[in-house]
Amino acid sequence: MSRFLDPAVLGALSGLDLVAKTVVEGFVAGLHRSADLGFSHEFAEYRAYTPGDDLRNVDWNVYARTDRTYVKRYRGETNSPVTMLLDASNSMNYASHSVTKMNYARFMAAAIFYLAVRKQRDAAGLLVFDDEVRNYINPSSRHGQLARLLAGLELAEPRARTNFEQPMRHLEGLLSRRGIVVILSDFYEPPNSLLRAIEPLRFRGNEVLLFQVLDPKELHPDLGGSTVLVDLETRARIEVTAEYAAKEYSERIAKHIAALRDATERAGMSYQLLVTDRPLDDALREYLTVREGRP
Amino acid sequence: MGFLAPAFLLGALAVGLPLYLHLLRRSTSTPLPFSSLMLFEVRPPSATQRRRLRYWLLLALRLALLLLLALTFAEPYVSRLIVGSAGDKLLLVVVDNSYSMRAGQRLADAKSAALSVIGARNPRDRAQVLELDSQVHVLTQATQDPRILRAAVNGIETGDSRGSFAVLATAIRSIAASENAPLEVHLFSDLQKSNMPPSFTEMALPRKVSLVLHPAAKGAVPNWAVESVTVPPLVWDPHTTHVQAVIAGYGTPTATRVVSFIVNGKTLATRQVEVPASGRATAEIDSLELPYGFSRCSVRIDSGDSLSADDEYVFAIERSDRKRGLFVYQPSDARSALYFDAAVKSAAQAAVTLDKVTLDRASSVDPAAYSFIVISDVAVLPEAFANKVLDYVHRGGNVLVAVGTVAAQQRTLPIFGANIVTTRHYSRDTERFVAVGQTDSAYAPAGTPEEWEGVRFYYATAVDERGSRVGARLQDGTPLLLEKPVGEGRVMVFASGFDNLTNDLPLHPVFVALVERMVRHLAGNDTRSGPHQVDDIIALRSAKEQAVGVDVTEPSGKRPFSLQEAVSTQSFQVSHAGFYEVHLANGRQDLIGVNADRRESDLTPMADDVLALWRGSDNEKGTAAAAPVAASVSQVTAVPRSLWWYAMLCVLAAALAESVIGGRYLATLRDEP
Repeated sequence: MSRFLDPAVLGALSGLDLVAKTVVEGFVAGLHRSADLGFSHEFAEYRAYTPGDDLRNVDWNVYARTDRTYVKRYRGETNSPVTMLLDASNSMNYASHSVTKMNYARFMAAAIFYLAVRKQRDAAGLLVFDDEVRNYINPSSRHGQLARLLAGLELAEPRARTNFEQPMRHLEGLLSRRGIVVILSDFYEPPNSLLRAIEPLRFRGNEVLLFQVLDPKELHPDLGGSTVLVDLETRARIEVTAEYAAKEYSERIAKHIAALRDATERAGMSYQLLVTDRPLDDALREYLTVREGRP
Repeated sequence: MGFLAPAFLLGALAVGLPLYLHLLRRSTSTPLPFSSLMLFEVRPPSATQRRRLRYWLLLALRLALLLLLALTFAEPYVSRLIVGSAGDKLLLVVVDNSYSMRAGQRLADAKSAALSVIGARNPRDRAQVLELDSQVHVLTQATQDPRILRAAVNGIETGDSRGSFAVLATAIRSIAASENAPLEVHLFSDLQKSNMPPSFTEMALPRKVSLVLHPAAKGAVPNWAVESVTVPPLVWDPHTTHVQAVIAGYGTPTATRVVSFIVNGKTLATRQVEVPASGRATAEIDSLELPYGFSRCSVRIDSGDSLSADDEYVFAIERSDRKRGLFVYQPSDARSALYFDAAVKSAAQAAVTLDKVTLDRASSVDPAAYSFIVISDVAVLPEAFANKVLDYVHRGGNVLVAVGTVAAQQRTLPIFGANIVTTRHYSRDTERFVAVGQTDSAYAPAGTPEEWEGVRFYYATAVDERGSRVGARLQDGTPLLLEKPVGEGRVMVFASGFDNLTNDLPLHPVFVALVERMVRHLAGNDTRSGPHQVDDIIALRSAKEQAVGVDVTEPSGKRPFSLQEAVSTQSFQVSHAGFYEVHLANGRQDLIGVNADRRESDLTPMADDVLALWRGSDNEKGTAAAAPVAASVSQVTAVPRSLWWYAMLCVLAAALAESVIGGRYLATLRDEP
């Protein structure tokens, strides 16, 4: 089943809804062996019946044995709004193979939306940004929300440059409830300035989850000789040798990732590196871990 | 420093290639989009600088390698000044013994002058004796021993070849290239103008060579000669044999000469001709009394000039009976028989009579009675006749098969045995006809392409040529004339007709010549009789006639071949005037008359300005009187010393260094992820 979590396989599917369903169903099927993780309708505890409770949740077996009415509670009932922040800057358009970083992020977002809305009955929202907010869909668990979210993902096309400050300020004004904020980006920002922009979300009690989406060739470039590189966002050019790219650049990006991971963890956020040639289950697992930690 | 072959320095332009590969090509690489350059440094790191340094080192080595290669091929040299005495030089004593040196006492005078020079030379000088005719013969090695030199000069005899100063210059250039010491060439010759090559540059001598000329004749000498004789090599009726001789005068006044026609030592006829001043006259007779077999004939004049050797022109004639040939044709095709028979009758040298029979009467004919058979465009031979012809060929008979439109209806060619591949009707194409494209000059019946000029072929039959010798092809490559051995005999194929319909060959003069050659070839009348010149090459055997003994007897009676040479020699160069008796590998006995090249009869010497130019304008020593043979003063001589080996060593070193640096660079590239 993990074959269906392969980004290249998902890229061949026609719509994000199908992608999301394939990912989540495949992932959930894989989870049956795991006792640690659960979701939505998983039994949590019994609670004494109080007037107004839904009678469908009364455990009639217990009532028959004890003559008392108890109501079964499920973990999924403690819903948390999920807000997905999707970086749609030009740098997300990079790909060294069949799946661009943007598509990978779309798949990831779609899978989380599917998991949240369909499986956990959570409210889910989307904010697409680059150097400003391009699209915002308010978190909701209403019928049709998943379709709106997926449509929002479909419409998100990379353009312009990344600027985290303005979208974060905008989001602060929009988020009324504490919840989970998932940020999908390549995070080509100095960690300190990035944290300055994101930390207010954490301060407001949100669980912040950073998914850094990178192409394998961004981690280990293979230039094959002296090459002129063009920045997809700034159009700046620079000539680098293969030796430099293979050695010094690889060290620098490893340091950047490590610094980002340290900074986010120190700030109480979660961080996950997503490489676009890897299956999506690591990211989903991380999301569920965070989700499980929510009350 | 100089270069022996400076043109090779142009090869240095090849340095543009590595420059292009290293600099231009590298800078024109296609930009590669990348997500963000945030983590790249604007300035390349020091490792890149080292790499670039390695690039430059590699480039420099490659440039050096190419430059050194060009330098090596240009053969650089430095002139080394050496102080020595006049004795450090090589004297080349060249004695001309060409045919013209027979005039008067020329050769004797030349040898006497050569002996004088050898005697007067500095004893420390080395000397070498050469003999000049159409080739340069080295008679001695470079030696200081006067006895060897004198013996060589005394041994020189008159020859019959033509002199060539171009050959002499080539030989001197070759000796000069291998000899460090300066050369002093003493040429003892009558300096005939006709011995000069067409281009004076072929006579040019290297700068280190000083040429001293010793003319063996003073001024032009009048000379009459029998220039040429036109005569058929094979006759069957001596009463109709026409012999024509051309008498030429060189620098002569108008005079009357008596021309004698001699057969086997007996004068058959004499004619008086008036030869104009420096002109030509013709003497001819219309009958020649000849016995059967070969006759030694000559035409002689009473010139009374100094070169009497060219007053006689020798030639051999063979008399034999006419041979009979059989011409088989379709009753409906009378044209082919008419044209072919007319051509045979017109051919003076064919010595053949032709019996023509139609196909329906062929069965009653015995092929064995004929020297050859021509089957002209016949569809199907009567079985009995076909068997007789096949047996005739297997026993050594020769057959010519013409394949016109009728014969091409079969799938296999009779007697010849090859398949008919296709028929080509050129008249249906846009061009309407093709001409003969190429001929095999070694195949006697085919002639030359020029002879076939203007002949149009409207039709040809493409015959499978495997195993055959192709004598002529049409322009589209279709074999026109083929031959292959069948049994002991041979079968020729003419891939068109003789009917003036499939081609217009019968209307062209070449038709008579072609028919004559084919008939002579088929009848075995090929002969090497007739006039030949000294230095001609006579083929003694064909490719199939290996390991069969041949025999040649020179005019002097000597046999030039050893027993081993007699079974292996392919050809023979005649070097003396007179009659050669040749026993060929095919069993045939020939008598060949050989005459000297008549250009030698023109005794006009080279002009003085040409001689001065040959010696060199600043070379005032180039006269016999001023010859510095006895000088012994010290002099400084510039001797070129080649740097080729040093340049080649540098090339090897550069190549090695380039391999090491390039190998390291490639190894670094492989190590990169």
